[in-house]
Amino acid sequence: MPKLTPISPVLSRRKLLQLGTTTTAATMLGLNAIRAAASVPVNFQLSWLHSVQFGGSYIAEAKGYWSDLGLDVALTPGGPNAPVEPPVVTGSALMGISAADYTAAAVENGAPFKILAVAMQKNPFAISSLPDNPVNSPADLAGKSIGMATANTPVLQALCDLNGVDINEIEIVPTQYDGAPLLAGQVDCLLSWSTDLPVAMTMQGVEPVVMLLADHGYAVHSQTYIATEDAIANRRSDLVALLKGEVMGWTDYVADTDAAAALTIERYPDAGLDLATQELQAERQVPLMFSDLTDQHGFGWFTEETVAANIETLALLGRTVTPDLWDLSILEEVHGST
Amino acid sequence: MSDAPISARVLRFLGTLMAVLLAWQFAATLLAGSFLFAGPIEILRYLLDNHAVLGRALLATVQTAALGYLWGNAVAILLAGLALLLPLSERPIRILSLVVFCLPLIATGPILRVLYGPGIGPQVTLAALSVFYTTLVPLLAGLRAVPRVWVDMVQSYGRGRWTTLAKVRVLASTPYLIAGLQIAAPAAFLGALIGEFTGAERGLGILTLQAMRRLDTDATWAIASIAAVTSISVYLVIGKLGRLLWKGAPTTLLAPPLKAPRRHWLRSVAGVLGLTLMVLLLWQGVMDVFGLNRFFAKRPDDIWSFLVTGTEAEAHRETLLSALGDTLITVVPGFFAGLALGGALAALCTLMPRMSGVLLPVAITLRAVPIVTTAPLIVLWLGRGPTGVITIVAIMIFFPTLIACLHGLKQVPKAVLDVCESYSAPRWRILVHARIPAALPAFFATARIAVPAAVLAATVAEWLATGQGMGHLMALAASTSDYNMLWSAVVALTLVAVIAHFAVALAEQVVFARYAPEQLQP
Repeated sequence: MPKLTPISPVLSRRKLLQLGTTTTAATMLGLNAIRAAASVPVNFQLSWLHSVQFGGSYIAEAKGYWSDLGLDVALTPGGPNAPVEPPVVTGSALMGISAADYTAAAVENGAPFKILAVAMQKNPFAISSLPDNPVNSPADLAGKSIGMATANTPVLQALCDLNGVDINEIEIVPTQYDGAPLLAGQVDCLLSWSTDLPVAMTMQGVEPVVMLLADHGYAVHSQTYIATEDAIANRRSDLVALLKGEVMGWTDYVADTDAAAALTIERYPDAGLDLATQELQAERQVPLMFSDLTDQHGFGWFTEETVAANIETLALLGRTVTPDLWDLSILEEVHGST
Repeated sequence: MSDAPISARVLRFLGTLMAVLLAWQFAATLLAGSFLFAGPIEILRYLLDNHAVLGRALLATVQTAALGYLWGNAVAILLAGLALLLPLSERPIRILSLVVFCLPLIATGPILRVLYGPGIGPQVTLAALSVFYTTLVPLLAGLRAVPRVWVDMVQSYGRGRWTTLAKVRVLASTPYLIAGLQIAAPAAFLGALIGEFTGAERGLGILTLQAMRRLDTDATWAIASIAAVTSISVYLVIGKLGRLLWKGAPTTLLAPPLKAPRRHWLRSVAGVLGLTLMVLLLWQGVMDVFGLNRFFAKRPDDIWSFLVTGTEAEAHRETLLSALGDTLITVVPGFFAGLALGGALAALCTLMPRMSGVLLPVAITLRAVPIVTTAPLIVLWLGRGPTGVITIVAIMIFFPTLIACLHGLKQVPKAVLDVCESYSAPRWRILVHARIPAALPAFFATARIAVPAAVLAATVAEWLATGQGMGHLMALAASTSDYNMLWSAVVALTLVAVIAHFAVALAEQVVFARYAPEQLQP
């Protein structure tokens, strides 16, 4: 059922957005005028615990980008036992953060999701090793032991397929998501996000060798924004506003990552975060999120080519998808390029 | 009780404490650079530097744990009372409680989060779920630990079950309830902590996750220490309160030996069918009443078609059964090892009372420190093979067994002890002939609790350390939105737990017919 809340001022605000008012300043002026109107409560489901990983969203919240757009956004954290898909399917969250492989799996299992935008243009999965026994390219993996969550075996399999490495020559050691087994010498290398365990190791004074899977053919969009077909049809303007605030937040983020880290600590003092680690993480995720493509078209953008590359890698992961999984129309409205 | 003056006892305690801390610091120094373990000095430094954050997190976790503790125990007490008043309801209550207790966090987490939305609802519920079964089972045993003559006397006055319950059984069950409430305290704390994995804003569980990812060993172990100290304190306070409330000595439980009641096999089959139907209806009912989406909240018919009638049903069954096999190989030895260890240590403490001063804190600590913190250490020592998983299972269930058996071994009537002492019977003889028979009801109650606990512990260990078995299968299913497989795994694990539960019940009947016939009374 479409929500029937909109009162006339909100509708005019929506029309304003749909008209694609060209400059942000003009939009802001127009929106401030109707700020008094009731704001729409929206849950935005994050994919993990609070950290600077979602720095752009915190900026959007702190600077009032969303409230200016008529939204009252609650950022709900994820966790080891808090998958993103259920709250988004039920509509208790309007939008969630996922990744193309998870979304493809969910769609295969009956969830009506679309990918609306892509925060991480380059997949953050990386293999970290120590300098005296480095993994610089996939070929170096042969004969080594790798610590990883066994649930990620398909990721390693896909990397091997892309680079002609026999996975049977790699010893997979199931580990938790922490760097200790590498530093304790239990394994030769680790599969994790490049913005995560390698950052922790650097902070502990051990500079690891980091090989980004994305640099070796592994093309899977990550930190993607997903919503249901129902939400896209019936709550379109809310989605546009939510994503617009998000884009504005991330645009500010890249201008000053240290400020984003500081904001994260200030906003979530109980999240167990440490400023120096957050600053380094904030800096390291920039090259994953911003590229020539986003410089040209704006944050979150994707093209037929990047989608095609994703479909190829996803096939190696055992997921059959079509370009229908992606829907650029919301982002086009956000960037005003319809 | 020692007769030494207090100052000597304090000195001895401080001496032991110093020795433990020194050994700990030494071990930590040996493991330095491994990012697995921190010593007391590093922990203390971290605690001092971060007391504000840690304090807020502790408060948040304790708050949810306390709420869960109250809810879980209140429900357990109500259900136990209901089971005694309406004997027909006992079996359904036992089985339904078992089924609910068996549900793994990985399946309930997302459902609770969707039901409650943001907030502490899921954590409180998970804390409540982790205590209500461990209180219910000993309480049911305690409510029956009544001499036959007392029941007969109430009945001869023309009073019914209600009066028996209120005047006789409640009193008799108090020591069992206290044991249950004591075991529940660390369990509630751990439940609340793990519950934070379902997407909480703050708490010690959140800090643990972040500290481990940050490779911050000092922080990880500082948080673990806080968890352990909190659990031990609550455990001791509840024990003290219990002793203040309950001064009665155990009574001689004279009851005529009963033959284990034999039921016609047709009645048994009908009973099993009835229970199955009830569980299925309840499952379907809960999902429908809350209108939970079929994408992640599967119904019985989804699982039926996934495992039986669907096109790839055979492949699904094969995956499931092979994972189940891997898990059972570790659960069964872990279960028996945990029970044996708990029972043996309780006996040891009874023979050498001073031992309990050392053993109990260690036991509570092992139970109170979140398994996510200790698992990497256990894996380092024992490897990622089945030995590690078996050890984790044994650790998770030996603590409740130890506590329950310690309480049970004290349930010897004064009169019996007097007889033993007048013959100057040695301690081990009293143990074998008087204490162990008296402890049997408590032992079997704890064995029942250990069944689902062992299954859950094994799946957690598999998820964290070995990447095999049901724990791995469920984690994989959850991450790929394969909720059909996830729910099939839940059904399979629940079935295993129910079957094991009946096996324990069968053994119990045979033993009780001779040693504790009062437990078999309707």
